[in-house]
Amino acid sequence: MKSASLHGLRTVALLVGVISFHSASAAGSLIRDVTWYGSGSEANPVVTDVLLVDGLIAQVGTGLTAPGVTEVIDGRGLHMTAALFTARTQLGLDELDLELTTVDSRLGEFGLTGPAFDIQYAFNPASVAVNVNLVEGVVYGVLAPRVGPDLLAGYGAVANFGTGKLLARRTAMFGASGAVVAAKFGGSRAENIGRLRRALSALPGFRARGYVPNPGEYSRADMLALSEMVKEHKPLVMHAHRAADIRELLRLAADFDLQLVLSGATEAWQVAGELAAADVAVILDPLENLPLSFEQLGARLDNAALLHAAGVTLAIVVSDLHNTRLLRQHAGNAVAHGLPWPVGLAAITRAPAQIFGLQVGRLQQGSAATFVLWSGDPLEVTTYAQAVMVDGRWIDPTSRQTRLFERYRDLDDTEATGFKYR
Amino acid sequence: MGLHDNQVRLFVVPLIALLISLSFAVQLQAREPYASTYQVRAVAPFVISDVNVFLGDGGELLDTRVWVKDGRILALGEATPEGRYIHVEGNGRWLTPGLIDVHSHLGDYPAPAIASTRDGNESTAPNTARVWAEHSVWPQDPQFELALAGGVTTLQVLPGSANLFGGRGVTLKNVPSRTVQGMKFPGARHGLKMACGENPKRVYGARLLAPSTRMGNVAGYREAWAAATDYRRKLKEHAADATKPKPDRDLTLDTLVGVLEGDIIVHNHCYRADEMAYMIDVAAEFGYRIGTFHHAVESYKVADLLAREGICSAMWADWWGGKLEQFDSVQQNIALVHKAGACAVVHSDSARGIQRLNQEAAKAMTAGRRMGLEISEGEAIRWVTLNAAKSLGIDAETGSIAVGKAADLVLWHGHPLSVYARADQVYIDGYLYYDRHDPDRQPRSDFSLGTGFAGGTAAKQGTTPAVSTAEAVGKVVVTGDQGAVEVTR
Repeated sequence: MKSASLHGLRTVALLVGVISFHSASAAGSLIRDVTWYGSGSEANPVVTDVLLVDGLIAQVGTGLTAPGVTEVIDGRGLHMTAALFTARTQLGLDELDLELTTVDSRLGEFGLTGPAFDIQYAFNPASVAVNVNLVEGVVYGVLAPRVGPDLLAGYGAVANFGTGKLLARRTAMFGASGAVVAAKFGGSRAENIGRLRRALSALPGFRARGYVPNPGEYSRADMLALSEMVKEHKPLVMHAHRAADIRELLRLAADFDLQLVLSGATEAWQVAGELAAADVAVILDPLENLPLSFEQLGARLDNAALLHAAGVTLAIVVSDLHNTRLLRQHAGNAVAHGLPWPVGLAAITRAPAQIFGLQVGRLQQGSAATFVLWSGDPLEVTTYAQAVMVDGRWIDPTSRQTRLFERYRDLDDTEATGFKYR
Repeated sequence: MGLHDNQVRLFVVPLIALLISLSFAVQLQAREPYASTYQVRAVAPFVISDVNVFLGDGGELLDTRVWVKDGRILALGEATPEGRYIHVEGNGRWLTPGLIDVHSHLGDYPAPAIASTRDGNESTAPNTARVWAEHSVWPQDPQFELALAGGVTTLQVLPGSANLFGGRGVTLKNVPSRTVQGMKFPGARHGLKMACGENPKRVYGARLLAPSTRMGNVAGYREAWAAATDYRRKLKEHAADATKPKPDRDLTLDTLVGVLEGDIIVHNHCYRADEMAYMIDVAAEFGYRIGTFHHAVESYKVADLLAREGICSAMWADWWGGKLEQFDSVQQNIALVHKAGACAVVHSDSARGIQRLNQEAAKAMTAGRRMGLEISEGEAIRWVTLNAAKSLGIDAETGSIAVGKAADLVLWHGHPLSVYARADQVYIDGYLYYDRHDPDRQPRSDFSLGTGFAGGTAAKQGTTPAVSTAEAVGKVVVTGDQGAVEVTR
């Protein structure tokens, strides 16, 4: 039996590197006295033992004994939550924004996406940005095409960054309403919504064979993608900010029986009651408090708190893919501005899974051993990920960033080169 | 008229010094053009008691008092100054110096961010050293009030980075004002924005203009400094001998000569370590100093060099990855610069980031500690206060809580290095410009009125108020030995 504090574990990991770490499957790990935030009971964390067997959370309770386990971890002072889940990201799609050969979330600089666009084929699990965020606890993400200038940008997929595999494909349709797309249709929101309404109205009589679109209408492939969304009740995630635009989307969803999810949603607090009544979840960046456009004049830091108070399901996201790891800081800021702490944690763990109907992202007995051990309050900026486990395997904590740090941490003036250049 | 008394007091001394040091005249005006009209607002003396203080210089004082008179720190601790002092109950809260952002575009890239307000970068030529950011600043930018709510009392507004020489930056006090002059930090020197790397070569290269390469960048700097050196020589010759021809006034070269004379501080956007090293050599070739490298994502690679040269690095805690020159980011950058003994500054370059510089400092501290580097909380606060003031050349005036310095203060709800912290009160020169619990002490820009903009901050208070408004202020207290009694504001 190996007894390792997490600090020791990290040290081992740094020394032996990637291969041994990945092979160190924790089929039989016991974490003692960890602070456990079970999904659904985030408000009542308990100090408990957690037994991991065969990639599953086998048992949760105090005073567990497991003679056969390969490692025992002293969990005192550590906080255990479900892995972080971003409800919308371009992580794994884009590497460097300004280097277009590494950008796959959109078609060309001005974007020619439409409903038929399908992001699943672009996922690159080897992306440096993926690993940088994975080691900080970001395990799940809904990969979304960048929205605009078309109203609809195509299908998203769901990735497990820890395994590098897609969990679901063609999961939800993504789109945007408002100024970012209005420009394409002569600058009017009216035509923006009008065109989608016409397309949806045409669906019942749509026959793929023989369909010839008029100029400005969706192609056959686009109509098929739209039909799939409606028939299979796939979520339609619409990015919109202005309260009036959100209301139009609510009417559209009601008229065509669409599973609307709202994204962006700067002024959603003004429509909170209607969103709750229609059971429309909201994906938002809680730091979005700038009146950056005339459709965001209602921006405020307590948007999340107000939506929650009205009964709206929330997912919190980070606008910048490279810093998806800041999900916790974003949730923490929402809490600082009135969102209940357990809701903040849920908004970056299990709520996104719930919104997209996925059976992952929960921390409970019997669920997959996919979680993070934090050094303290999971939403605090002075906290960091001590260890990340995905499906029973510890994630190697090294990333390109930690390797660069190690290379330069002790500059040596006596060498001409000054750094560890090998 | 007393209106400009402060102005006179604050400017006469540096002006005389300038006149003495410059035996020649660099287009010297009788009065500095576009001079500050900022006024310290009169306020009765007050004392904040029962506070824990991060001094800004790295140190801290627990359970102490801070006495403020005439907008200045009068004393710390158990002093007993004469006179009546209004009492502000600290209730064990933390007090820090006002936060300072050395890299902002508030006002020149205001909200709403639309074509008609996009005034931050005169990207029409690689050298626009002639432009001044202050001439673009819109004082009614609603982003100023959001930064104030985040505890920011002073900020430098810079031109953008498309150019080799972007123009002059301006240091502002974050006060509501009808004019930019009313915000200008009295006596603060201008900055000169320079930029390395991808931006200049991309912007001009795409137009088939120079520079289109990094070697083109360096050639562009050198040509400009050579021209400035020549211009300066002619100015000197004319000043020494009036029969020598006076060169035609050149606004671009005026700015560069200001740098050569030490009157303007170079703020150099530069991500890559190797480019920093080159910029240090360019500065040596032409005899000027670099004040601060901005966005310095790779400072950790040359932290020893930066310490030796006395150059500050203005950095993000963790922002990275938009382009290749931001690819080598490490979360320990700030901590490693600090460890090397160089001047570490946390900056934002963001209207969002400027609202939570304290959180950025906290993350940078944590990243360092995680790797075994010893960093005190006080040192982390220093990155957003005194070191920032040093970068702007205003560290004798603000950036730390010390006797005689400006009473630029933030009283925090919660620990300032916590994600849950909120600024309860923000003082600039002793005047309470922001109070989280008092809507009458929350400046609103013209733009905020009637547009639906709610100020971007929560109307309701946070969920974990350790100190209620009623407890924080409003007590009647006896202060000092004088037995003076006042009701708090």
